[in-house]
Amino acid sequence: MVAEQFSLAGKAALVIGASNPLGRAAAVALAEAGADVGVATTTRSQREEVAANSCANEIWALDRKGFAQAIDAADERDVDSLVERAVSEFGRLDILVNAQDLHFAQPALEISLAEWRRVINANLTGVFLACRAAGREMLKRESGRVVNISSVLAERGMANGSAYCAAQAGVLNLTRALALEWARTGVTVNAVGAGWIDAGGFLADENMKRQLELSAVQAAG
Amino acid sequence: MGVLDKLRLDGKVAIVTGAGRGLGRAMAVALAEAGVKIVATARTESQIEETAGLVRDKGRRCLVMQCDVTDSESVNAMVDASLGEFGRIDILVNNAGGATDGFGNSLEAITDEQWRVGIATNLTGAMYCSRAVIPHMLERGSGKIINVTSGFGLRAGRNNFIYTSAKAGLINFTRSLTMTYAPAIQANLIAPGLFPHGDPAMEEWWKHGMFVPMGRLGRDEELGPLCVFLASDLTSYMNGQVVVLDGGGLAGGELPTGFAPQVPLPEPKGSGK
Repeated sequence: MVAEQFSLAGKAALVIGASNPLGRAAAVALAEAGADVGVATTTRSQREEVAANSCANEIWALDRKGFAQAIDAADERDVDSLVERAVSEFGRLDILVNAQDLHFAQPALEISLAEWRRVINANLTGVFLACRAAGREMLKRESGRVVNISSVLAERGMANGSAYCAAQAGVLNLTRALALEWARTGVTVNAVGAGWIDAGGFLADENMKRQLELSAVQAAG
Repeated sequence: MGVLDKLRLDGKVAIVTGAGRGLGRAMAVALAEAGVKIVATARTESQIEETAGLVRDKGRRCLVMQCDVTDSESVNAMVDASLGEFGRIDILVNNAGGATDGFGNSLEAITDEQWRVGIATNLTGAMYCSRAVIPHMLERGSGKIINVTSGFGLRAGRNNFIYTSAKAGLINFTRSLTMTYAPAIQANLIAPGLFPHGDPAMEEWWKHGMFVPMGRLGRDEELGPLCVFLASDLTSYMNGQVVVLDGGGLAGGELPTGFAPQVPLPEPKGSGK
């Protein structure tokens, strides 16, 4: 049956960036489809940790195993130990969802090198670190699915979005390169290009509303 | 309602063109598994009867309609008959198409008729079917259109003028549908890579996919679930997109992967070698 082909019963997943609404939606959907799901933050902050814990609660409420961990997704030790925890708690790792998302918009002339690095590290380097750590496990077992949640801004520019757009484009082509590098190992790597999703309540924002009025489907997903 | 429940499409009705074999059959059967009643159309009636048998094995009704998508009267009659039988059309899968006479011809060897038939089969047919079905979808306020393009809709091929032009045209036709009929109707495309449909001669012709990054050809059953996904509410915000199903082929373009053994192409004529 088709629905059975979509079932993830018995699989184990890790979602990084579950403190943002897209990551949270991914984590809950994976759990609904039957997977055990560990979730992690993008940065170490109390706000993100609270969000990740609440996401884990939702996973438990679906009768799946899960955990929440506060990490700095751009720190390789944090990422490596996160993957180790997933493997030790679930006994396996089948799915990695990279939903690290650090929003940043600023005129290019005003971006300091430290800010640039922070945005690139969180949004791009963090995805590489997670792919590398999870890839070690997945290649060993010759099976795995990596889903990188990128943005429509990977293929289009946005004024004041230089650092963010560059990072998201990097995620997209990192995805393609890994897909080829691991093409014969049983591990697939794909990306989702997310558009304007009303997950953070931005429809209340007048500027955002004007942007949406210009797009074809005049409602946010 | 959970994620997996949203893949249930009970009570919905789909028209699948080119349903007599290969990808069309795979999509019709997968949709039937998800609960969809099927209108199976193709030019060859004996082949659609076989597909209909597989659909009915899943417990769904199937209307068998012989239809030539390049003939708008035939298309309109098929859509009328579908509405007469089931009273609604939720999903249109424009799958009919393929290599036509003159495929691979050099430009000067393409006749007017070969060009006309190739474009009609791979592009105009989808327009005729969409034109016939969309008013009904708009009346009901919803509809899903799934158009089957090809990797050759996204890149060119030497002496592949007719097919690549039609399949690329289908992509932009679909995008214009989305600009015009959103949000009631969503239209997306599937771009399959190399699918031999179990035909050993095609498997041999494509070297068993050894030059594809994943090292193998596509299997029909790998396409059916994608069609169900695109027909479901799970993709209610996806519109005008091409989903590529090609074992990684387009991820690298013409860059060597280091993994895929390269199959040497014959030297172009007149290259001096």
